Amino acid sequence: MEDSVRRYISLWWSLFQNSLTRDMEFKANFLGGLFVDVIFYGIQFFFFSVIYSYVDAIGVFTKEDVMIFLIVTFLTDTLYMFFFAGNLFNLNRWMVRGDLDFFLLKPVHSQFLVSFRYIKSYAVVSLVILSILLVSRVVIYSQPVPLLNWAAFIISLGLGWIIWYGVEFIISTSCFWFKNFSVSGWLSHEILKFSTRPDSIYTGLFRKVLLSAIPMILIVSIPTRILLYGPDIKYLGWQLIVALVFLINSRIIWKKGLLRYESASS
Amino acid sequence: MKGWIEKYLSVVRMTWIQTLEYKANTIVGAFAIFSGLAIEFLIWKQVFQAQGATEIRGFTFNGLIAYIFLCMIVGQLKSSWATSIEMIESIRTGELNKYLIRPVSFFTYHFMMFVGHNSLFYIVYTTILILFPIMLPGFAFMTNLHVGGFIMALLLSIYLSYAIYYCMVCFAFWFGEVRSLVIAYNISNIVLSGQIIPLRLFPDTARDIIYLTPLQYLVDFPVSIATNQLPMELWLPKMAVSFAWCVAMTLAGAVIYRAGIRVYGGFGA
Repeated sequence: MEDSVRRYISLWWSLFQNSLTRDMEFKANFLGGLFVDVIFYGIQFFFFSVIYSYVDAIGVFTKEDVMIFLIVTFLTDTLYMFFFAGNLFNLNRWMVRGDLDFFLLKPVHSQFLVSFRYIKSYAVVSLVILSILLVSRVVIYSQPVPLLNWAAFIISLGLGWIIWYGVEFIISTSCFWFKNFSVSGWLSHEILKFSTRPDSIYTGLFRKVLLSAIPMILIVSIPTRILLYGPDIKYLGWQLIVALVFLINSRIIWKKGLLRYESASS
Repeated sequence: MKGWIEKYLSVVRMTWIQTLEYKANTIVGAFAIFSGLAIEFLIWKQVFQAQGATEIRGFTFNGLIAYIFLCMIVGQLKSSWATSIEMIESIRTGELNKYLIRPVSFFTYHFMMFVGHNSLFYIVYTTILILFPIMLPGFAFMTNLHVGGFIMALLLSIYLSYAIYYCMVCFAFWFGEVRSLVIAYNISNIVLSGQIIPLRLFPDTARDIIYLTPLQYLVDFPVSIATNQLPMELWLPKMAVSFAWCVAMTLAGAVIYRAGIRVYGGFGA
Protein backbone atom coordinates (compact mmCIF):
# COMPACT_ATOMS: atom_id res chain seq x y z
CA MET A 1 0.00 0.00 0.00
CA GLU A 2 2.75 2.39 1.07
CA ASP A 3 4.77 1.54 -2.02
CA SER A 4 1.76 2.08 -4.21
CA VAL A 5 1.11 5.54 -2.72
CA ARG A 6 4.77 6.46 -3.12
CA ARG A 7 4.69 5.24 -6.74
CA TYR A 8 1.64 7.34 -7.56
CA ILE A 9 3.07 10.44 -5.90
CA SER A 10 6.24 9.97 -7.89
CA LEU A 11 4.18 9.45 -11.05
CA TRP A 12 2.20 12.61 -10.39
CA TRP A 13 5.45 14.54 -9.96
CA SER A 14 6.68 13.27 -13.32
CA LEU A 15 3.37 14.28 -14.93
CA PHE A 16 3.71 17.72 -13.36
CA GLN A 17 7.23 18.17 -14.73
CA ASN A 18 6.06 17.06 -18.15
CA SER A 19 3.10 19.47 -18.07
CA LEU A 20 5.34 22.32 -16.91
CA THR A 21 7.71 21.69 -19.82
CA ARG A 22 4.76 21.67 -22.25
CA ASP A 23 3.29 24.84 -20.76
CA MET A 24 6.58 26.68 -20.93
CA GLU A 25 6.74 25.89 -24.65
CA PHE A 26 3.64 28.03 -25.05
CA LYS A 27 4.42 31.02 -22.85
CA ALA A 28 1.55 33.04 -24.30
CA ASN A 29 -0.91 30.41 -23.00
CA PHE A 30 0.81 30.66 -19.64
CA LEU A 31 0.42 34.44 -19.50
CA GLY A 32 -3.06 34.23 -21.06
CA GLY A 33 -4.23 31.92 -18.29
CA LEU A 34 -3.01 34.37 -15.66
CA PHE A 35 -4.67 37.26 -17.50
CA VAL A 36 -8.03 35.44 -17.54
CA ASP A 37 -7.68 34.70 -13.81
CA VAL A 38 -7.03 38.35 -12.99
CA ILE A 39 -10.08 39.46 -15.00
CA PHE A 40 -12.25 36.78 -13.38
CA TYR A 41 -11.20 37.83 -9.87
CA GLY A 42 -11.68 41.52 -10.63
CA ILE A 43 -15.16 40.97 -12.04
CA GLN A 44 -16.26 38.90 -9.04
CA PHE A 45 -15.01 41.58 -6.63
CA PHE A 46 -16.84 44.21 -8.67
CA PHE A 47 -20.07 42.16 -8.64
CA PHE A 48 -20.05 41.86 -4.87
CA SER A 49 -19.05 45.48 -4.32
CA VAL A 50 -22.16 46.50 -6.28
CA ILE A 51 -24.34 44.15 -4.20
CA TYR A 52 -22.81 45.41 -0.94
CA SER A 53 -23.37 49.02 -1.91
CA TYR A 54 -27.05 48.27 -1.20
CA VAL A 55 -26.72 46.02 1.87
CA ASP A 56 -24.45 45.67 4.91
CA ALA A 57 -24.64 41.89 5.21
CA ILE A 58 -26.10 38.90 3.38
CA GLY A 59 -27.08 36.62 6.26
CA VAL A 60 -23.98 36.40 8.46
CA PHE A 61 -21.64 37.41 5.67
CA THR A 62 -20.59 41.06 5.90
CA LYS A 63 -18.66 42.71 3.08
CA GLU A 64 -15.42 41.92 4.90
CA ASP A 65 -16.44 38.24 5.19
CA VAL A 66 -17.48 38.03 1.56
CA MET A 67 -14.11 39.36 0.39
CA ILE A 68 -12.48 36.44 2.22
CA PHE A 69 -15.18 34.11 0.87
CA LEU A 70 -14.26 35.24 -2.65
CA ILE A 71 -10.55 34.59 -2.12
CA VAL A 72 -11.42 31.09 -0.84
CA THR A 73 -13.61 30.62 -3.95
CA PHE A 74 -10.71 31.61 -6.21
CA LEU A 75 -8.32 29.40 -4.25
CA THR A 76 -10.62 26.38 -4.61
CA ASP A 77 -11.15 27.14 -8.28
CA THR A 78 -7.41 27.47 -8.87
CA LEU A 79 -6.70 24.23 -7.00
CA TYR A 80 -9.25 22.52 -9.20
CA MET A 81 -7.79 24.10 -12.33
CA PHE A 82 -4.29 23.08 -11.32
CA PHE A 83 -5.06 19.41 -10.82
CA PHE A 84 -8.08 18.47 -12.88
CA ALA A 85 -9.24 21.10 -15.40
CA GLY A 86 -6.81 19.97 -18.09
CA ASN A 87 -8.16 16.43 -17.85
CA LEU A 88 -11.83 16.11 -16.97
CA PHE A 89 -12.80 18.83 -19.43
CA ASN A 90 -11.27 16.72 -22.24
CA LEU A 91 -12.68 13.37 -21.23
CA ASN A 92 -15.56 13.57 -23.71
CA ARG A 93 -13.16 14.35 -26.58
CA TRP A 94 -10.83 11.51 -25.61
CA MET A 95 -13.76 9.12 -25.54
CA VAL A 96 -15.22 10.23 -28.88
CA ARG A 97 -11.87 10.12 -30.69
CA GLY A 98 -10.74 6.93 -29.03
CA ASP A 99 -7.75 8.66 -27.38
CA LEU A 100 -8.90 7.11 -24.13
CA ASP A 101 -7.25 3.88 -25.36
CA PHE A 102 -3.85 5.41 -24.59
CA PHE A 103 -4.88 5.95 -20.98
CA LEU A 104 -6.33 2.49 -20.56
CA LEU A 105 -3.28 0.73 -22.00
CA LYS A 106 -0.86 2.22 -19.45
CA PRO A 107 0.05 0.04 -16.46
CA VAL A 108 -1.48 2.49 -13.98
CA HIS A 109 -4.87 3.09 -12.48
CA SER A 110 -6.96 4.49 -15.38
CA GLN A 111 -9.03 6.85 -13.21
CA PHE A 112 -5.81 8.27 -11.76
CA LEU A 113 -4.37 8.91 -15.20
CA VAL A 114 -7.48 10.51 -16.75
CA SER A 115 -7.79 12.73 -13.67
CA PHE A 116 -4.17 13.84 -13.31
CA ARG A 117 -2.48 13.46 -16.72
CA TYR A 118 -2.29 17.15 -17.61
CA ILE A 119 -1.57 19.69 -14.87
CA LYS A 120 -2.22 23.37 -15.50
CA SER A 121 1.11 24.51 -14.17
CA TYR A 122 0.39 28.24 -14.60
CA ALA A 123 -2.07 27.91 -11.71
CA VAL A 124 0.89 27.67 -9.31
CA VAL A 125 1.43 31.41 -9.70
CA SER A 126 -2.24 32.13 -8.90
CA LEU A 127 -2.11 29.72 -5.96
CA VAL A 128 0.82 31.58 -4.41
CA ILE A 129 -0.74 35.02 -4.99
CA LEU A 130 -4.13 33.92 -3.61
CA SER A 131 -2.58 32.27 -0.56
CA ILE A 132 -0.71 35.48 0.27
CA LEU A 133 -3.88 37.49 -0.33
CA LEU A 134 -5.91 35.21 1.94
CA VAL A 135 -3.40 35.37 4.79
CA SER A 136 -3.15 39.16 4.52
CA ARG A 137 -6.95 39.60 4.53
CA VAL A 138 -7.37 37.27 7.50
CA VAL A 139 -4.59 39.07 9.43
CA ILE A 140 -6.44 42.39 9.13
CA TYR A 141 -9.85 40.76 9.76
CA SER A 142 -11.85 42.53 12.48
CA GLN A 143 -11.83 39.41 14.70
CA PRO A 144 -8.75 37.38 15.62
CA VAL A 145 -8.54 34.10 13.69
CA PRO A 146 -6.82 31.40 15.81
CA LEU A 147 -4.48 28.78 14.37
CA LEU A 148 -7.04 26.08 15.10
CA ASN A 149 -9.36 27.74 12.57
CA TRP A 150 -6.58 27.61 9.98
CA ALA A 151 -5.92 23.93 10.61
CA ALA A 152 -9.61 23.05 10.35
CA PHE A 153 -9.93 25.31 7.30
CA ILE A 154 -7.18 23.46 5.43
CA ILE A 155 -8.89 20.11 6.09
CA SER A 156 -12.28 21.54 5.10
CA LEU A 157 -10.84 23.10 1.93
CA GLY A 158 -9.30 19.75 0.99
CA LEU A 159 -12.60 17.96 1.52
CA GLY A 160 -14.42 20.60 -0.53
CA TRP A 161 -11.87 20.08 -3.29
CA ILE A 162 -12.51 16.30 -3.26
CA ILE A 163 -16.28 16.91 -3.43
CA TRP A 164 -15.79 19.22 -6.42
CA TYR A 165 -13.68 16.55 -8.12
CA GLY A 166 -16.38 13.94 -7.43
CA VAL A 167 -19.17 16.08 -8.87
CA GLU A 168 -17.18 17.09 -11.93
CA PHE A 169 -15.90 13.57 -12.57
CA ILE A 170 -19.41 12.07 -12.39
CA ILE A 171 -20.74 14.69 -14.83
CA SER A 172 -17.80 14.19 -17.19
CA THR A 173 -18.13 10.40 -17.22
CA SER A 174 -21.76 10.69 -18.28
CA CYS A 175 -20.28 10.92 -21.81
CA PHE A 176 -20.14 7.10 -21.77
CA TRP A 177 -23.93 7.02 -21.70
CA PHE A 178 -24.68 10.05 -23.88
CA LYS A 179 -22.05 9.04 -26.47
CA ASN A 180 -21.10 12.66 -27.15
CA PHE A 181 -21.71 14.94 -24.20
CA SER A 182 -19.66 17.94 -25.26
CA VAL A 183 -21.56 20.30 -22.97
CA SER A 184 -20.60 18.47 -19.75
CA GLY A 185 -18.06 21.21 -18.94
CA TRP A 186 -20.72 23.88 -19.36
CA LEU A 187 -23.20 21.91 -17.25
CA SER A 188 -20.76 21.44 -14.37
CA HIS A 189 -19.80 25.11 -14.58
CA GLU A 190 -23.46 26.06 -14.19
CA ILE A 191 -23.94 23.69 -11.24
CA LEU A 192 -20.74 24.87 -9.58
CA LYS A 193 -21.98 28.46 -9.84
CA PHE A 194 -24.05 27.71 -6.73
CA SER A 195 -20.84 27.25 -4.76
CA THR A 196 -19.59 30.72 -5.68
CA ARG A 197 -22.24 32.56 -3.65
CA PRO A 198 -22.39 32.69 0.17
CA ASP A 199 -24.54 29.87 1.56
CA SER A 200 -26.66 32.26 3.63
CA ILE A 201 -28.73 33.05 0.51
CA TYR A 202 -29.92 29.43 0.34
CA THR A 203 -32.77 28.47 2.63
CA GLY A 204 -35.29 25.65 3.17
CA LEU A 205 -35.35 22.60 0.93
CA PHE A 206 -33.01 24.18 -1.59
CA ARG A 207 -30.35 24.55 1.11
CA LYS A 208 -30.78 20.89 2.08
CA VAL A 209 -30.29 19.84 -1.54
CA LEU A 210 -27.15 21.98 -1.81
CA LEU A 211 -25.82 20.37 1.35
CA SER A 212 -26.42 16.80 0.20
CA ALA A 213 -27.41 15.68 -3.33
CA ILE A 214 -25.69 18.61 -5.07
CA PRO A 215 -23.27 19.57 -2.27
CA MET A 216 -22.22 22.98 -3.55
CA ILE A 217 -22.38 24.66 -0.13
CA LEU A 218 -19.70 22.27 1.16
CA ILE A 219 -17.13 23.40 -1.41
CA VAL A 220 -16.44 27.03 -0.44
CA SER A 221 -18.98 28.34 2.08
CA ILE A 222 -18.26 25.77 4.78
CA PRO A 223 -14.45 26.17 4.63
CA THR A 224 -14.94 29.96 4.83
CA ARG A 225 -17.30 29.62 7.79
CA ILE A 226 -14.80 27.36 9.55
CA LEU A 227 -11.98 29.83 8.93
CA LEU A 228 -13.87 32.90 10.09
CA TYR A 229 -16.30 31.63 12.71
CA GLY A 230 -14.38 28.61 14.07
CA PRO A 231 -14.31 24.85 13.49
CA ASP A 232 -17.62 23.01 13.51
CA ILE A 233 -17.28 19.26 13.91
CA LYS A 234 -20.74 18.66 12.41
CA TYR A 235 -19.84 20.46 9.20
CA LEU A 236 -16.44 18.76 8.98
CA GLY A 237 -17.95 15.33 9.63
CA TRP A 238 -20.64 15.91 7.00
CA GLN A 239 -18.07 17.10 4.49
CA LEU A 240 -16.05 13.94 5.09
CA ILE A 241 -19.09 11.69 4.55
CA VAL A 242 -20.17 13.51 1.38
CA ALA A 243 -16.59 13.51 0.02
CA LEU A 244 -16.35 9.75 0.55
CA VAL A 245 -19.76 9.12 -1.04
CA PHE A 246 -18.85 11.13 -4.14
CA LEU A 247 -15.40 9.60 -4.40
CA ILE A 248 -16.78 6.05 -4.17
CA ASN A 249 -19.54 6.88 -6.65
CA SER A 250 -17.02 8.33 -9.08
CA ARG A 251 -15.14 5.03 -8.90
CA ILE A 252 -18.28 2.95 -9.50
CA ILE A 253 -19.47 5.14 -12.37
CA TRP A 254 -16.04 5.11 -13.99
CA LYS A 255 -15.93 1.30 -13.92
CA LYS A 256 -19.47 1.03 -15.33
CA GLY A 257 -18.70 3.65 -17.96
CA LEU A 258 -15.61 1.79 -19.14
CA LEU A 259 -17.75 -1.27 -19.79
CA ARG A 260 -19.68 0.82 -22.32
CA TYR A 261 -16.57 2.22 -23.99
CA GLU A 262 -16.13 0.99 -27.57
CA SER A 263 -12.88 2.75 -28.41
CA ALA A 264 -12.75 5.23 -31.35
CA SER A 265 -16.06 6.68 -32.55
CA SER A 266 -17.92 5.03 -29.69
CA MET B 1 -27.42 39.52 -54.49
CA LYS B 2 -29.75 36.53 -54.74
CA GLY B 3 -26.76 34.23 -55.11
CA TRP B 4 -25.09 35.83 -52.09
CA ILE B 5 -28.17 35.29 -49.94
CA GLU B 6 -28.58 31.68 -51.11
CA LYS B 7 -24.93 30.94 -50.46
CA TYR B 8 -25.00 32.13 -46.86
CA LEU B 9 -28.46 30.75 -46.16
CA SER B 10 -27.10 27.34 -47.07
CA VAL B 11 -24.42 27.86 -44.38
CA VAL B 12 -27.17 28.60 -41.86
CA ARG B 13 -29.08 25.50 -43.04
CA MET B 14 -25.98 23.31 -42.79
CA THR B 15 -25.13 24.43 -39.25
CA TRP B 16 -28.81 24.17 -38.29
CA ILE B 17 -28.72 20.47 -39.22
CA GLN B 18 -25.51 20.02 -37.22
CA THR B 19 -27.06 21.81 -34.26
CA LEU B 20 -30.05 19.49 -34.25
CA GLU B 21 -27.59 16.69 -33.50
CA TYR B 22 -26.65 18.36 -30.23
CA LYS B 23 -29.91 19.17 -28.50
CA ALA B 24 -28.23 18.89 -25.10
CA ASN B 25 -26.74 22.36 -25.70
CA THR B 26 -30.20 23.88 -25.57
CA ILE B 27 -31.15 21.98 -22.43
CA VAL B 28 -27.96 23.07 -20.67
CA GLY B 29 -28.44 26.60 -22.00
CA ALA B 30 -31.94 26.77 -20.52
CA PHE B 31 -30.60 25.31 -17.26
CA ALA B 32 -27.89 28.01 -17.24
CA ILE B 33 -30.53 30.72 -17.47
CA PHE B 34 -32.78 29.30 -14.77
CA SER B 35 -29.92 28.42 -12.39
CA GLY B 36 -28.41 31.89 -12.88
CA LEU B 37 -31.80 33.45 -12.30
CA ALA B 38 -32.32 31.38 -9.13
CA ILE B 39 -29.03 32.69 -7.69
CA GLU B 40 -29.85 36.30 -8.59
CA PHE B 41 -33.35 35.87 -7.16
CA LEU B 42 -31.96 34.63 -3.82
CA ILE B 43 -29.29 37.34 -3.58
CA TRP B 44 -31.64 40.21 -4.38
CA LYS B 45 -34.32 38.76 -2.07
CA GLN B 46 -31.78 39.02 0.76
CA VAL B 47 -30.87 42.57 -0.29
CA PHE B 48 -34.50 43.74 -0.39
CA GLN B 49 -35.29 42.00 2.91
CA ALA B 50 -32.21 43.37 4.67
CA GLN B 51 -32.98 46.91 3.50
CA GLY B 52 -36.70 46.58 4.09
CA ALA B 53 -37.03 48.39 0.76
CA THR B 54 -39.81 48.02 -1.79
CA GLU B 55 -37.79 49.74 -4.50
CA ILE B 56 -34.09 50.14 -5.34
CA ARG B 57 -33.20 52.76 -7.95
CA GLY B 58 -36.64 52.44 -9.53
CA PHE B 59 -36.69 48.63 -9.50
CA THR B 60 -39.29 46.73 -7.50
CA PHE B 61 -38.19 43.21 -6.57
CA ASN B 62 -40.38 41.52 -9.21
CA GLY B 63 -39.44 44.15 -11.78
CA LEU B 64 -35.76 43.55 -11.10
CA ILE B 65 -36.09 39.77 -11.42
CA ALA B 66 -38.04 40.13 -14.68
CA TYR B 67 -35.33 42.48 -15.93
CA ILE B 68 -32.49 40.09 -14.99
CA PHE B 69 -34.38 37.16 -16.54
CA LEU B 70 -34.58 38.97 -19.87
CA CYS B 71 -30.95 40.09 -19.55
CA MET B 72 -29.82 36.49 -19.19
CA ILE B 73 -31.71 35.42 -22.28
CA VAL B 74 -30.36 38.31 -24.36
CA GLY B 75 -26.88 37.73 -22.94
CA GLN B 76 -26.88 34.14 -24.12
CA LEU B 77 -28.38 34.90 -27.53
CA LYS B 78 -25.71 37.43 -28.39
CA SER B 79 -22.72 35.51 -27.07
CA SER B 80 -20.58 34.20 -29.91
CA TRP B 81 -17.47 33.28 -27.95
CA ALA B 82 -17.61 29.62 -29.01
CA THR B 83 -17.64 30.62 -32.70
CA SER B 84 -14.80 33.06 -31.97
CA ILE B 85 -12.65 30.31 -30.46
CA GLU B 86 -13.23 28.23 -33.64
CA MET B 87 -12.20 31.21 -35.79
CA ILE B 88 -9.03 31.72 -33.77
CA GLU B 89 -8.19 28.04 -34.19
CA SER B 90 -8.65 28.29 -37.95
CA ILE B 91 -6.16 31.18 -38.08
CA ARG B 92 -3.70 29.39 -35.78
CA THR B 93 -3.83 26.10 -37.63
CA GLY B 94 -3.87 27.48 -41.16
CA GLU B 95 -7.40 26.27 -41.79
CA LEU B 96 -8.23 29.80 -42.88
CA ASN B 97 -6.74 28.87 -46.27
CA LYS B 98 -9.98 27.18 -47.27
CA TYR B 99 -11.82 30.49 -46.96
CA LEU B 100 -9.19 32.32 -48.94
CA ILE B 101 -9.43 30.04 -51.96
CA ARG B 102 -13.23 30.06 -52.02
CA PRO B 103 -15.64 32.87 -52.76
CA VAL B 104 -16.77 33.20 -49.15
CA SER B 105 -16.12 35.88 -46.59
CA PHE B 106 -14.51 34.72 -43.35
CA PHE B 107 -16.64 37.26 -41.45
CA THR B 108 -20.02 36.46 -43.05
CA TYR B 109 -19.47 32.71 -43.20
CA HIS B 110 -18.84 32.49 -39.46
CA PHE B 111 -21.62 34.94 -38.69
CA MET B 112 -24.04 32.64 -40.50
CA MET B 113 -22.55 29.66 -38.68
CA PHE B 114 -23.10 31.48 -35.40
CA VAL B 115 -26.73 32.17 -36.34
CA GLY B 116 -27.18 28.53 -37.36
CA HIS B 117 -25.63 27.19 -34.16
CA ASN B 118 -27.81 29.47 -32.06
CA SER B 119 -30.99 28.63 -33.95
CA LEU B 120 -32.17 26.10 -31.36
CA PHE B 121 -31.66 28.73 -28.66
CA TYR B 122 -33.72 31.19 -30.71
CA ILE B 123 -36.64 28.78 -30.82
CA VAL B 124 -36.53 27.87 -27.13
CA TYR B 125 -36.03 31.45 -25.92
CA THR B 126 -38.65 32.86 -28.26
CA THR B 127 -41.09 30.43 -26.65
CA ILE B 128 -40.00 31.64 -23.20
CA LEU B 129 -40.34 35.27 -24.33
CA ILE B 130 -43.84 34.61 -25.67
CA LEU B 131 -44.76 33.07 -22.30
CA PHE B 132 -43.06 35.90 -20.42
CA PRO B 133 -46.03 38.34 -20.33
CA ILE B 134 -48.18 35.45 -19.04
CA MET B 135 -45.69 34.38 -16.32
CA LEU B 136 -44.78 37.90 -15.19
CA PRO B 137 -47.60 40.15 -16.45
CA GLY B 138 -47.02 43.89 -16.58
CA PHE B 139 -43.22 43.76 -16.43
CA ALA B 140 -42.35 43.47 -20.11
CA PHE B 141 -43.74 43.72 -23.64
CA MET B 142 -46.62 46.00 -22.70
CA THR B 143 -47.44 46.82 -26.33
CA ASN B 144 -46.58 45.49 -29.79
CA LEU B 145 -44.33 48.52 -30.18
CA HIS B 146 -42.24 47.24 -27.28
CA VAL B 147 -42.01 43.83 -28.95
CA GLY B 148 -40.91 45.43 -32.24
CA GLY B 149 -38.41 47.76 -30.51
CA PHE B 150 -36.97 44.84 -28.54
CA ILE B 151 -36.51 42.71 -31.66
CA MET B 152 -34.76 45.57 -33.50
CA ALA B 153 -32.46 46.27 -30.55
CA LEU B 154 -31.79 42.55 -30.10
CA LEU B 155 -30.77 42.12 -33.76
CA LEU B 156 -28.41 45.09 -33.44
CA SER B 157 -27.05 43.62 -30.21
CA ILE B 158 -26.37 40.21 -31.78
CA TYR B 159 -24.58 41.77 -34.74
CA LEU B 160 -22.62 44.24 -32.62
CA SER B 161 -21.52 41.52 -30.24
CA TYR B 162 -20.30 39.37 -33.13
CA ALA B 163 -18.46 42.32 -34.69
CA ILE B 164 -16.65 43.03 -31.39
CA TYR B 165 -15.61 39.40 -31.06
CA TYR B 166 -14.45 39.44 -34.70
CA CYS B 167 -12.08 42.35 -34.02
CA MET B 168 -10.51 40.36 -31.18
CA VAL B 169 -10.34 37.20 -33.30
CA CYS B 170 -8.35 39.02 -36.01
CA PHE B 171 -5.54 39.75 -33.55
CA ALA B 172 -4.75 36.02 -33.86
CA PHE B 173 -2.86 36.94 -37.05
CA TRP B 174 -0.17 38.55 -34.88
CA PHE B 175 -0.52 36.81 -31.54
CA GLY B 176 -1.03 33.06 -31.47
CA GLU B 177 -2.86 33.12 -28.16
CA VAL B 178 -5.87 35.45 -28.24
CA ARG B 179 -8.31 32.91 -26.78
CA SER B 180 -7.46 34.37 -23.38
CA LEU B 181 -8.48 37.80 -24.64
CA VAL B 182 -11.83 36.46 -25.89
CA ILE B 183 -12.48 34.51 -22.67
CA ALA B 184 -11.48 37.48 -20.49
CA TYR B 185 -13.79 39.75 -22.52
CA ASN B 186 -16.57 37.18 -22.24
CA ILE B 187 -16.21 36.93 -18.45
CA SER B 188 -16.14 40.69 -17.92
CA ASN B 189 -18.91 41.24 -20.45
CA ILE B 190 -21.32 39.15 -18.35
CA VAL B 191 -21.17 41.70 -15.56
CA LEU B 192 -20.24 44.91 -17.39
CA SER B 193 -22.97 44.69 -20.03
CA GLY B 194 -25.55 44.42 -17.27
CA GLN B 195 -26.34 40.75 -17.77
CA ILE B 196 -26.59 39.90 -14.06
CA ILE B 197 -26.87 43.34 -12.47
CA PRO B 198 -28.71 46.15 -14.28
CA LEU B 199 -26.38 48.98 -15.27
CA ARG B 200 -28.62 51.41 -13.38
CA LEU B 201 -27.54 49.77 -10.12
CA PHE B 202 -23.83 50.26 -10.85
CA PRO B 203 -21.84 53.02 -9.11
CA ASP B 204 -22.15 56.27 -11.08
CA THR B 205 -18.50 56.39 -12.20
CA ALA B 206 -18.51 52.80 -13.48
CA ARG B 207 -21.79 53.38 -15.28
CA ASP B 208 -20.55 56.60 -16.91
CA ILE B 209 -17.49 54.77 -18.24
CA ILE B 210 -19.61 51.88 -19.59
CA TYR B 211 -21.92 54.37 -21.33
CA LEU B 212 -18.92 55.54 -23.38
CA THR B 213 -18.49 52.01 -24.76
CA PRO B 214 -20.75 49.81 -26.92
CA LEU B 215 -21.37 47.50 -23.93
CA GLN B 216 -24.67 49.14 -22.97
CA TYR B 217 -26.14 48.23 -26.38
CA LEU B 218 -25.47 44.53 -25.92
CA VAL B 219 -27.92 43.69 -23.14
CA ASP B 220 -29.14 46.73 -21.25
CA PHE B 221 -30.58 48.54 -24.28
CA PRO B 222 -32.85 45.77 -25.68
CA VAL B 223 -34.03 44.80 -22.19
CA SER B 224 -34.71 48.42 -21.20
CA ILE B 225 -36.98 48.72 -24.25
CA ALA B 226 -38.80 45.46 -23.45
CA THR B 227 -39.36 46.41 -19.82
CA ASN B 228 -40.37 50.00 -20.59
CA GLN B 229 -37.43 51.38 -18.59
CA LEU B 230 -36.37 53.56 -21.52
CA PRO B 231 -38.61 56.44 -22.67
CA MET B 232 -39.85 55.91 -26.23
CA GLU B 233 -38.38 59.18 -27.49
CA LEU B 234 -34.91 57.77 -26.75
CA TRP B 235 -35.40 54.56 -28.73
CA LEU B 236 -34.51 55.92 -32.15
CA PRO B 237 -31.50 58.03 -31.10
CA LYS B 238 -30.13 55.06 -29.13
CA MET B 239 -30.74 52.71 -32.05
CA ALA B 240 -28.86 55.13 -34.29
CA VAL B 241 -25.89 55.08 -31.87
CA SER B 242 -26.07 51.28 -31.66
CA PHE B 243 -26.12 51.09 -35.46
CA ALA B 244 -23.15 53.47 -35.63
CA TRP B 245 -21.24 51.16 -33.25
CA CYS B 246 -22.10 48.23 -35.55
CA VAL B 247 -20.68 50.10 -38.54
CA ALA B 248 -17.59 51.22 -36.60
CA MET B 249 -16.88 47.69 -35.33
CA THR B 250 -17.44 46.16 -38.78
CA LEU B 251 -15.01 48.64 -40.33
CA ALA B 252 -12.48 48.12 -37.54
CA GLY B 253 -12.75 44.35 -38.06
CA ALA B 254 -12.25 44.71 -41.82
CA VAL B 255 -9.18 46.93 -41.31
CA ILE B 256 -7.62 44.55 -38.78
CA TYR B 257 -8.40 41.54 -41.01
CA ARG B 258 -6.81 43.17 -44.08
CA ALA B 259 -3.68 44.06 -42.15
CA GLY B 260 -3.62 40.61 -40.56
CA ILE B 261 -4.02 38.66 -43.79
CA ARG B 262 -0.80 40.28 -45.03
CA VAL B 263 1.19 38.72 -42.20
CA TYR B 264 -0.69 35.41 -42.29
CA GLY B 265 1.66 32.53 -43.09
CA GLY B 266 -1.02 30.04 -44.14
CA PHE B 267 0.49 27.17 -42.18
CA GLY B 268 -0.41 25.47 -38.91
CA ALA B 269 0.99 26.91 -35.71
